[in-house]
Amino acid sequence: MPRRLLGLLLVLPALTVILFLFVLPLALSVVGAFETEAGYGLDNFTKSFALYSSDILFTVVIVGLSTCLIGLFSIAIGGYLTLGENPRAVAILRWLYRWPLFIPFIVVGQVLRTFLAKNGLMNNILVGAGLITPLQAVSFLDWRGIVIAFVWKQTPFVTLLLAGAMASVDRGTIEAARNLGASRLRILIEILVPQVATTLMVGLVLSFVTMMSVLSVPLMINAQSPTMLTADIAFRINAYGDYGVANALGLISLAATACVAWFYLRQSMKERG
Amino acid sequence: MTQEGFLNIAGLSAGYGATRVLEGLNLAIGKGEFVALLGSSGCGKTTLLRAIAGFVKPSGGSISVDGADVTRQPPDKRGMALVFQSYALWPHMTVAQNIGYGLKLRGRPKAEIAKRVGELEDLLGLSGLGGRKPGALSGGQRQRVALGRALAIDPQILLLDEPLSNLDARIRLKVRHDISALQKRLGITAVHVTHDREEAMVMADRIVILDRGRIAQQGTPQELYNRPATPFVAAFMGAENRIDLTGRIAGDRVIIAAGLANAAADLALDGRPLTDGDLEGRFRAEAASLLTGEGDGTATRDALELPGRVEAASYPGGAWRHSVRVGEDTLLVDSPEPFALGAAVRIRIPAEALFLFVRQGHPAGPEGSLSDGTEGRVLEASES
Repeated sequence: MPRRLLGLLLVLPALTVILFLFVLPLALSVVGAFETEAGYGLDNFTKSFALYSSDILFTVVIVGLSTCLIGLFSIAIGGYLTLGENPRAVAILRWLYRWPLFIPFIVVGQVLRTFLAKNGLMNNILVGAGLITPLQAVSFLDWRGIVIAFVWKQTPFVTLLLAGAMASVDRGTIEAARNLGASRLRILIEILVPQVATTLMVGLVLSFVTMMSVLSVPLMINAQSPTMLTADIAFRINAYGDYGVANALGLISLAATACVAWFYLRQSMKERG
Repeated sequence: MTQEGFLNIAGLSAGYGATRVLEGLNLAIGKGEFVALLGSSGCGKTTLLRAIAGFVKPSGGSISVDGADVTRQPPDKRGMALVFQSYALWPHMTVAQNIGYGLKLRGRPKAEIAKRVGELEDLLGLSGLGGRKPGALSGGQRQRVALGRALAIDPQILLLDEPLSNLDARIRLKVRHDISALQKRLGITAVHVTHDREEAMVMADRIVILDRGRIAQQGTPQELYNRPATPFVAAFMGAENRIDLTGRIAGDRVIIAAGLANAAADLALDGRPLTDGDLEGRFRAEAASLLTGEGDGTATRDALELPGRVEAASYPGGAWRHSVRVGEDTLLVDSPEPFALGAAVRIRIPAEALFLFVRQGHPAGPEGSLSDGTEGRVLEASES
């Protein structure tokens, strides 16, 4: 069977890469999460929950909230790109909305740090416009800053997927609704979004996983407690060399993303069946 | 057809960007009338329908319904419902939700919507399918759901954009009759866009033939079929055999001179607007007959004869269709009996089946400059 062997040989490099760079490290971290000085056990998890339960909650809430906001904004932008009647406004929006896609997370953190600080650009503008007094100025460099950074960075990505899907929806289905008297908002909610729901879900799940793994934004914007799990993992490894707890925290984030993925899979199975 | 109609279109011009599709078009449609807009692709028929529906903003002219100007009204304020070529059903809604959506938008109570949807499902033969999604329906059923969705809101005018073109041939024949019977029963005004001549003839009270954004001719199916006003309409209505003739008017007769490809003939003028000189003759394959032998050289009365030679014969059903070489042209003629290849024959066209027009400078079409387009249209018209 030389042909079968050849086929196997061709797949081998890719298979090796996946095995050694993905499967093996994942297996090692999973095993590492249960490794303690006294052999295998749940000590790392007990410690993780004792020390970081508020951070776990904080992470899930922040990323969940960001995902919801990203969904809302991308529906609004995608909807306007598809249903907007002012061609110039649509063209400008189409040109503008993709920019954050090309900016790395660390730069987003840096930019927003100067923008959202107590005496940053945003507050200076608000004070300058007479909307608030200098005394009322507050720093947004906390959970709000992280949410703003995530939403700003991830909305274009989901919008890109969503606007593409919306553009390929049969225009007739939109016109039929208009013909019967549906407003643009109703068309968006009742006609357009249901037809692109799968794409929206894929975009949001991918965004959720991406945000769960971002380290630079929490470090740049909100390094104090509570913070996100990625910052804690980095801290455990860099400060203590404590791979056990770091692995346990990693496994906990994996569980959170797996929940979302499971939700998505169930939904898509239901639609197919 | 200049009487004040229920749906009035006056001086309508429309286009996309710099391209003018419709140019100063006038059309009046009576209440309860079924009008077919017939034309080849690119003739502006769909643009006209979309302008009536309110999806294309006209650059000039006006559209009024029952005396009220709706030119600037949004699509839903015109009392019209459009059935799309692709049906455009909402795939995420059930059949009942699709049909009832227009009523839901109007804020009708749930019970009333359910009742109306039930009535329409019965009317359209969709009973028991209310819970299905469009993806689980056949083409004919989807088409009926689209029709039901349009009818649910009791529109004054029903607009149909090639609603049968996605159905297979057998279902199409049945749905043609279903739709026109339904339209008669409901007494609704309907405008139907199609490129299929037979479909237009079977369904419509009046056919409007469009050519390059203008009305080429309008009238009842019989009028258009038997009295085409231009070579374009004649070709569109199936008279695709074309011959060049020379003639002279003598009182109420037209005397055709013998030419390279035709014998002399003496025909009744029959009200045709002809002048002395070059003429263009058109006739249908099934309206002519084939005779054997040579003519006797004298002018035939009330029929035109063309000597030719059989090049090919086929049997499409009903009669043998012969391809006959006449002079430089090849003409198609039907005959109940097949003729041998190479046989010398005479094509005999009775005067009433021969459409005569004054030949314009260029051999093809009423506006000589676009001969390619005209030829293309002729071919397309024969597709149906």
